[in-house]
Amino acid sequence: MLKIKDLHASVEETSILKGINLEVNAGETHAIMGPNGSGKSTLAQVLAGHEDYEVDKGSVEYLGNDLLELDVDERACEGIFLAFQYPVELPGVNNTYFLKSALNAQRKHRGEDEIDAMDFMDIISDKIKLLNLKDSLLKRPVNEGFSGGEKKRNEIFQMAVLEPKLALLDETDSGLDIDALKIVANGVNAMKSDDRATIVVTHYQRLLNYIVPDFVHVLVDGKIVKSGDKTLALELEEKGYEEVIKEAKN
Amino acid sequence: MKVLNKIAADFDNTINESDSKLRNIRIENFEEFKKTGIPTSKEEFWKYTDPSIVNDSEFSLGIPNNFEDKSFDIIIANGKIIGNKNIDEVTNIKIGLEEKIIEVSDFNKTSNPFINLNNAFLEEGCVINFGKDAEREIKVLNIVDNTNSQQIIHPRIVVKAGKNSNISILEEIRFLGGKKNLVNSVTSFSLEEGANVEHIIIDDFSEDTYQISNVLVKQKKDSTFSSYNYSNAKNLARKDFIVELKERGSHCDLRGVYLADKKNHIDHHTIIEHEKEHCTSNELYKGILSGKSTGVFNGRIHVHNDAQKTDAIQSNQNILLSDNAIIHTKPELEIYADDVKCTHGATVGQLDEKGIFYLRARGIKRKEAQKMMMRAYVGEVLIGIKNEETKNNLLEKIIQNIPDGEA
Repeated sequence: MLKIKDLHASVEETSILKGINLEVNAGETHAIMGPNGSGKSTLAQVLAGHEDYEVDKGSVEYLGNDLLELDVDERACEGIFLAFQYPVELPGVNNTYFLKSALNAQRKHRGEDEIDAMDFMDIISDKIKLLNLKDSLLKRPVNEGFSGGEKKRNEIFQMAVLEPKLALLDETDSGLDIDALKIVANGVNAMKSDDRATIVVTHYQRLLNYIVPDFVHVLVDGKIVKSGDKTLALELEEKGYEEVIKEAKN
Repeated sequence: MKVLNKIAADFDNTINESDSKLRNIRIENFEEFKKTGIPTSKEEFWKYTDPSIVNDSEFSLGIPNNFEDKSFDIIIANGKIIGNKNIDEVTNIKIGLEEKIIEVSDFNKTSNPFINLNNAFLEEGCVINFGKDAEREIKVLNIVDNTNSQQIIHPRIVVKAGKNSNISILEEIRFLGGKKNLVNSVTSFSLEEGANVEHIIIDDFSEDTYQISNVLVKQKKDSTFSSYNYSNAKNLARKDFIVELKERGSHCDLRGVYLADKKNHIDHHTIIEHEKEHCTSNELYKGILSGKSTGVFNGRIHVHNDAQKTDAIQSNQNILLSDNAIIHTKPELEIYADDVKCTHGATVGQLDEKGIFYLRARGIKRKEAQKMMMRAYVGEVLIGIKNEETKNNLLEKIIQNIPDGEA
């Protein structure tokens, strides 16, 4: 589904990604772990298509096409979903209206008819229960005045409605208490399927108890220095990044 | 000067034909206007907006035309009433200015030459007199027939809101042609105790409009005045709002959205006189400017000696869509009472790029994302409009007219 080859990226001429190689197949869950400043979030942003990041070298193939050729909204329409580390507040933009516009933009892109209000409300009421969100949040402006946990759950709620092919979860666990973490993880797990892949970017192993990865990659200074299965995350938790990085270099 | 000669000729013609009881008022005001002429930007009050640029133009006084639009209660063409409907005893709409229902003091000469000029052409105007407890929504359409010649019009609306009345007045302007025109309008309100008045202005100008507009408000005890003012400048517009909170417990909301593109110029001056205690005012003006346009917001709040417990809020926010657009924003607070709360703030910026990225990351195209952000930005100003349909229509109109960045 996704083939990243020797990807280099920078922001304002500061090089951040320095040669990422990664292949993700449909049905797989990959975790990207690493210390602060290693480039984890940058990788997620670059894949989502943030224009502040410059791709200097390398290629990204997504479903057989050149991903880097697409704008951020085209990537979303092609099934890439970024769950933001810091979801943006949009005063005055109604949450339901926003989500319906997004879904319809994606349907239009796929050549499908726009969804009518009734069918949309059916989808919404299904998914909102999954994330244990209050109905009243739907009537509020997007993320405005939401608690930290509500914002993160709202991200996964959007993901559940939009049903992406490739989900990028950027530090989705940060700022969540253990109950909220379980709800978010449940939401993500409920979507797991053979034709969908997930990349979880996280600093801590904690989230991976609930969203169990097939592969774990350690990202340090813009490169993947070690890959393994879910036990690698436990090893990291036990020994700390420094020890694992040292071992990897030897 | 061309413009003054023509105005003087028109004045002489109409005053000679006129047998109006307002003749003296008109003459007095015209004499005053002649002393000052059209002001220039050398005067502090006109610092950023120079109306004397019309000096070399010639404008004709309008001739009424037949025009129908059933969605309006009153239609005024080139300053004269040509149609009205739904007249009933509650609203008591008076056509023209009859001395028995107007107060001559409403037309005293002022320090503003354009108000004096409007007074000088008080041949016909529209007085809307609402009795005690009246509840009514009135829509007024101002037609400018600038099809065949350059027009000047002096629309005058006088609204009297009786005790505890609950009223909404909507004023919209429509142009039938494309010729240059000068609109010098005055709308005045007097609110009796407990009256609640909503005033909506939809000024969507045709190309090449010069507009000077004055809204004058006098409020008595516990009355509320809510103004929603939309301006889409198409050359030069200067709009003043002067609100006098004359008695305890009165409140006003002044809200506005202004757009300007190309080299167009839009200037709003608001003056709120807090004359007595326990009065509140709340101002929110938002602008969207592009091209080489210029915007001005000058918000004066004057808290008099007696106006203890005043609570005044003022906010002016601007989005500049191009590097060459300019906004002059200036709060002007003059406070003589010691127990008051006055806050003011101004912002100038661009649309929130983080917000746009967030919307795009969900599949929404950039243009659509910008529109959604604009809708939210503008929507906040209109939020209090009572009639949902009016509110939504106005919001759509504004969104459609938001200029593209550089143009």
